[in-house]
Amino acid sequence: MDISFALTGKGYVIVAADTTAARSIVKMKSDEDKIKVLSPHLLMAFSGEPGDTVNFAEYVERNLRLYHIRHTYALRPASAASWIRRSLAESLRSRSPYAVNLLLGGYDTATHTPELYWVDYMGTLTSVPFGAHGYGSYFALSLLDRYHDPEANLEEGLATLRRCIDEVSKRLVVSPGKYKVKVVDKDGVREIEL
Amino acid sequence: MSIMQYNGGSTIAMVGKDCVAIACDLRLGNQALGISSNFEKIFAMTERTYIGLPGLATDVTTLHEQLRYRLNMYTIKEERTMEPETFIHLVSSTLYEKRWGPYFIEPVLAGLQRMPGGSFRPFIASTDLIGCINFAKDFVVAGTASEKLFGVAEGLWEPDLAPEDLFETISQTLLNAVDRDAYSGWGAVVYVITEDKVIKRTLKGRMD
Amino acid sequence: MARRYDSRTTIFSPEGRLYQIEYAMEAISHAGTVLGVLAKDGVVLAAEKKVTGKLLDMSGAKEGGYGGSGEKIFLLNSNVISGVAGLTADANSLVNYARQAAQGHLFNYNEDIPVELLVQRLCDLKQGYTQYGGLRPFGVSILYAGYDPHYQFQLYHSDPSGNYSGWKATCIGANNGTAQSLLKQEYKDDIGIDEAVGLVLRTMSKTMDSTTLGSEKLEFATLTLDAEKRPKAKIYKPAEIDALLVKHDLAKKDEDTEMRAA
Repeated sequence: MDISFALTGKGYVIVAADTTAARSIVKMKSDEDKIKVLSPHLLMAFSGEPGDTVNFAEYVERNLRLYHIRHTYALRPASAASWIRRSLAESLRSRSPYAVNLLLGGYDTATHTPELYWVDYMGTLTSVPFGAHGYGSYFALSLLDRYHDPEANLEEGLATLRRCIDEVSKRLVVSPGKYKVKVVDKDGVREIEL
Repeated sequence: MSIMQYNGGSTIAMVGKDCVAIACDLRLGNQALGISSNFEKIFAMTERTYIGLPGLATDVTTLHEQLRYRLNMYTIKEERTMEPETFIHLVSSTLYEKRWGPYFIEPVLAGLQRMPGGSFRPFIASTDLIGCINFAKDFVVAGTASEKLFGVAEGLWEPDLAPEDLFETISQTLLNAVDRDAYSGWGAVVYVITEDKVIKRTLKGRMD
Repeated sequence: MARRYDSRTTIFSPEGRLYQIEYAMEAISHAGTVLGVLAKDGVVLAAEKKVTGKLLDMSGAKEGGYGGSGEKIFLLNSNVISGVAGLTADANSLVNYARQAAQGHLFNYNEDIPVELLVQRLCDLKQGYTQYGGLRPFGVSILYAGYDPHYQFQLYHSDPSGNYSGWKATCIGANNGTAQSLLKQEYKDDIGIDEAVGLVLRTMSKTMDSTTLGSEKLEFATLTLDAEKRPKAKIYKPAEIDALLVKHDLAKKDEDTEMRAA
């Protein structure tokens, strides 16, 4: 039931995820943060099987933090994405696989490019200009096909994100109420109120 | 629905006169939902050996990384590049290692084999998902559009095509075959490998 | 009595020294010279070969391979080359370890291994032999010339104890003191790759025992960026080294031709 969106723009990546934590048909919580800050320039929205999601996100967070401490610099987004993908791919063929889908938004400080990766629980990894997971993807992807602009400034990018959120609210039977939105650019990571 | 059809995608390789070509589509999907129109399935392994890995997308990446590791270890220890005919056997044994829990990939390979005299011979091959090698003299296909690719290639391919003619033949074969397949398409990439250069071209395709 | 603290690598002497490590370093200071210079657009490595002679079969080095004779300069990864001084057999083992470590990193992170990380991996291995008992340390010092997007071009040195450090220009092996003082005098901070090549060759010609330089005594390599900004390692083949020496006016006079002319 989790919904997450992400899109790139000129020098930034926006990552958004709903804030509902639900058990079956009951909402248990409405301010859950489903976007982890993995490094000064890397965000990860995670969704999927409750329990697996937080456990896997923390596993990733701590491994990347350890790498950062050991080597004084963080892994670049592409390398972090490859490592996370491998973790999921190995988990897929293990006795108890993680069922976690991810959107990885990062800013590569070596090449000065915003980067976005779509990752699913099987370990499928692909670089995309925009992506989504969950039921929201059926509505958002076609809207983003139409309105996404890789050269858009942050305000325009947020307007496009708002279109996606509004469409989901309008059309999806069980739409979530609130979203957390985070942005990563050359200055690092920050949260934005929509 | 088989796991081989889950992400979609197709690959084809063809033999020409003193050249080979290999091409793939660019779609990555989750069944009917399209995720990416920039998912390349062909990888340069050496300067004259290219491999296409259609099938389950997670295994496309895993197998590519696995093959690259083994190939690089060979190259750095032997201090020479691996020939395509050797490489397809590496692919085969890598796949057969997972005989009872396979990678869901059916590789397609195209390359130029260096002959003892120093000349080059076109070489193509494919394997099934557990590494049974199929050596072919004309063309090899794999992926969700493989039946259609067989049909169109059977009609368009002819022996001894020059590089530019081979490019046209493989491009038309792929584009027309994937138009009849809902799980393949969304653009294509074509490589034509000749003795002195490799030409890579990205083709636009129908986006439906 | 000092002998009592010599035999095991892991036992401190009463003065707090590890003799086996010091002996290993001593052995290296008699090995063929290896010299490295860091320039703003590349890194240069040169090494003096000790195993030479008319009957040595060098046909393998002439063509094929990565160049070099496989005695002193090695390609560790597409972005790192190394020059080794000390026991060749130990060096081969370390080179193999480094290559595996680099490919392991590429496999896990889909990027070329950062240079300092590779140096650290080797130093962790070397350090282990100064602590875990019963074995001999690696009798090898290594110069690493590498490139990565974090710190661009880099030059490192590691010794048998597992210490490592970064350098602008440095030298290991025989006469390294002479070479280092020469480098200290001549090195400039904004040196370019072509100047660095000249500096390395000149310094080598002054420090090596033999009076003249030639490809049978010298290995040479550079690391630069290609047109696509990817690191490009070039280990020179014997013919290319001789051509380079001629260009820098350091080539030996061919006595045979002079005698034939006479």
